[in-house]
Amino acid sequence: MKKLSILIVSLLILSALLSACAGQQQAQKIRIALILPSTVDDLSWSQGMTEGVKAVQAELGEDKVEVAISERLGNPTDAAAAIRQYASQGFDLIIAHGSQYQSVLEEIAPEFPKTSFAYGTGFQAHDNIFAYDPQAQEGAYLQGMLAAKLTKTNIIGVVGPIEAGDAIKYNYGFEQGVKAVNPDAEVRIAYTGSFGDIAKAAELAKAHMDAGADILTGTAQQTVGAIRACAERPGVYWLGNDMDQSSIAPNTVLTAQAYDWKSVVMQMVKFRQEGKVGGEHLVLSLANGGLNIVVNPNLSSVIPADVMAMIEQAKKDIIDGKLVVELPK
Amino acid sequence: MIDQLLQMSVIVGIITTGVRLATPFLLAALGEMFDQRAGVYNLGVEGIMMMGAFVGFWVALRSGSPWWGILAAIGVGIFMGLLMGLISITLQAEQGISGIGLYMFGVGLAGYLFRITVGYITGIEGFKPIAIPYLSDLPIVGQIFFNHNWMVYFAFLMVPVSWFVLYKTTWGLKIRSAGMTPEAADTLGLSVVAIRYTCLVIGSIAAALAGAFLTLGHTNMYADNISAGRGFIAVALVYFGRWSPWGILGGALFFSLVDALQLWVQVLGLNIPYEFAVMAPYVLTILALTVAARQIWGPAALGKPFNREGD
Repeated sequence: MKKLSILIVSLLILSALLSACAGQQQAQKIRIALILPSTVDDLSWSQGMTEGVKAVQAELGEDKVEVAISERLGNPTDAAAAIRQYASQGFDLIIAHGSQYQSVLEEIAPEFPKTSFAYGTGFQAHDNIFAYDPQAQEGAYLQGMLAAKLTKTNIIGVVGPIEAGDAIKYNYGFEQGVKAVNPDAEVRIAYTGSFGDIAKAAELAKAHMDAGADILTGTAQQTVGAIRACAERPGVYWLGNDMDQSSIAPNTVLTAQAYDWKSVVMQMVKFRQEGKVGGEHLVLSLANGGLNIVVNPNLSSVIPADVMAMIEQAKKDIIDGKLVVELPK
Repeated sequence: MIDQLLQMSVIVGIITTGVRLATPFLLAALGEMFDQRAGVYNLGVEGIMMMGAFVGFWVALRSGSPWWGILAAIGVGIFMGLLMGLISITLQAEQGISGIGLYMFGVGLAGYLFRITVGYITGIEGFKPIAIPYLSDLPIVGQIFFNHNWMVYFAFLMVPVSWFVLYKTTWGLKIRSAGMTPEAADTLGLSVVAIRYTCLVIGSIAAALAGAFLTLGHTNMYADNISAGRGFIAVALVYFGRWSPWGILGGALFFSLVDALQLWVQVLGLNIPYEFAVMAPYVLTILALTVAARQIWGPAALGKPFNREGD
C-alpha cells in the first residue's frame, strides 16, 4: 500500500513537471486553429485563408507558429465541437472562417477568456472575438465597371450561392459598378441555394450564357464549376472572387478580387502579442491593401488601356473616399 | 414577365437543362431500383457516386481519356457493390446502417484520395456532345434531346432496357421473386444470394457511372462534395417512381425540369424570391408524392436479409 502511494505521488510530480515544460513551450509558440466550411484546396474562400495562415507561419517561422486545420465544417453545430476542442487544447487563436460561426463563437468564447477567436465576414467583435470584414463591394464595384465596358450583349450573369454575407456585399457593389458605366447593361443575379454544389453552379452559368450573358461573375467555392462551364464557350469571360482563380481556366478568368488574409492573421497575432485578445473589427479594403484586383496576365490585352485607366481612377477615388460604394441597408 | 418564359428559345433552354440535370438521377435511381427489386436497399448511393466521380476524374486526368475514366468508374462500382453485398447479404447486417456506412466510406475516401493524388482544382477534357445525325436537325426536339454527350443518351436508353429486363426476361422474373418472396425463390432452386449480389453490383455500377457523369460529362472537373446529395435524391426517386423504370423516368424528369425552370426564372430576372425558386423542385416533388400516394407497393422482402435457415 505504501509503495503504491509513493508510486502515485511520484507519478503526479512527474506529470506536473511534464505539463510545466509543455506550458513553457506553448508560451513561445503561437498555436493557430483554422475551422473551414469547405476544404483547403477549394480555390476560393477556404484556400485563400489557408494560404494566408501558412504565409504567416512561413514569415514568423515554423517553430514559432503551429497551425491546425479542420475542414468541411460548414454546419456551425459541427464546427462548435471542433472549436471547443481546440480551445480546451490550449490553442491561442481559433479562426472560424465564415459568417455562420458568429453565434457559436459568442457562446463558446466567454468560457475561454484567454483564447482569441475570430470569424468573418462580420463586424461584431467582442472581448476575445475578432471580426474580420472584407469590403467585397469595393472590388466588386471595379469588376462591375469592367464587365459593363466589356459586355457585347449588355447582359451580365451573376452565379450566387445563398443570399448572405459576402455574396450580398459583392453583388450589391458589382451592380453599382455596372450601372455607373453602362446603365443599359442588365445584371442578372441568380442563386443556386448552396455554397458547394459545383454541378448546379455550372448549370446556372450555362443558363446565363444561353440567355445571352457574355460576362459572368460570382462568389463562393462552387463558382469553380461555373468557371469551368464558361471555359467551354469562347468569348465569355469570368470575373473571380476570393483569390486568383485563373489556374482552372487561363483563357476565361479575366480578373479576380483577391483578399489578403495574411495581413489579417498577422494583425491578430500582433494584437495578441500586445496583450489584446479580441474586440477588434478588422477591415479588408482597397485602402489598406486587404483586398485588390488581380489581372490574369494571360488576358491583360483583353482590357483596353482607357478602361484600365478608368478602373485605376475609380480605385483611387474609393481609396481617397471620393467614391463610396453603397451597402444595402 | 411570363411572356419571356414562353419564348421558344427559353423553353428549349429549360428543357435542355432539365434533360442534363436528370441524367445522374436517372442512372443512380435505375441502379437503386435493381437493388431494391432484389430485396436490398442501398443507402450508400451517394458514397458510390462520389467514388465513381473521383476515380473517373482521376483516371481521365492521368490517362488523358475520359473513356479510361469510365472503365475505372465501372471497376469502382463493382468493388463498392461487392462490399455492400458482403456486409448486407453475406454478413446480413442491417441494410440501412450498412448503406449509411458505405456512404460515409465513399465520401471520406474520395475526398482523401483527391487530397493525396491531386490536391488542387483542375479541369479535364470531358465527353463532347454528339449530335445524332438527322434527329439533331429536327426543330426544337433536336436541340433538346439529340445534342448531348453519350452518357445522357445512355441514361435515357437504360429506361426501356431496364423495363425489358425486369418484365420480359426470366432473369427479371428471378430478380422480382428474390425481392418479393425469397423463400419461394429458394425453394424453386434459385440462389437468392447470387441474384442479390448481381443486382447490387449492377446498381452500384450505375451509381458510379452517375458520379462519373458529374465529373466527365457535366462539369469536366472534380471538387470536394461534387455529388452534393444527388445520391439521396436518387434513392427517393425509386420510391417516387414506384420501383418502375418509367415511374423513375417521370420522377427524375419532373424534379429536374422544375429545377431547370427555377434556374431560368432567376436568370431571366422574374420577380420571385430566390428562396422559393430554389426549394420549388423539392416542394413540388413532395406534393406530387402526397397527391399520388394511393397505395404504396414495394418489394415485400425489401430490407430483410435472406437466411436459408429461416430465422
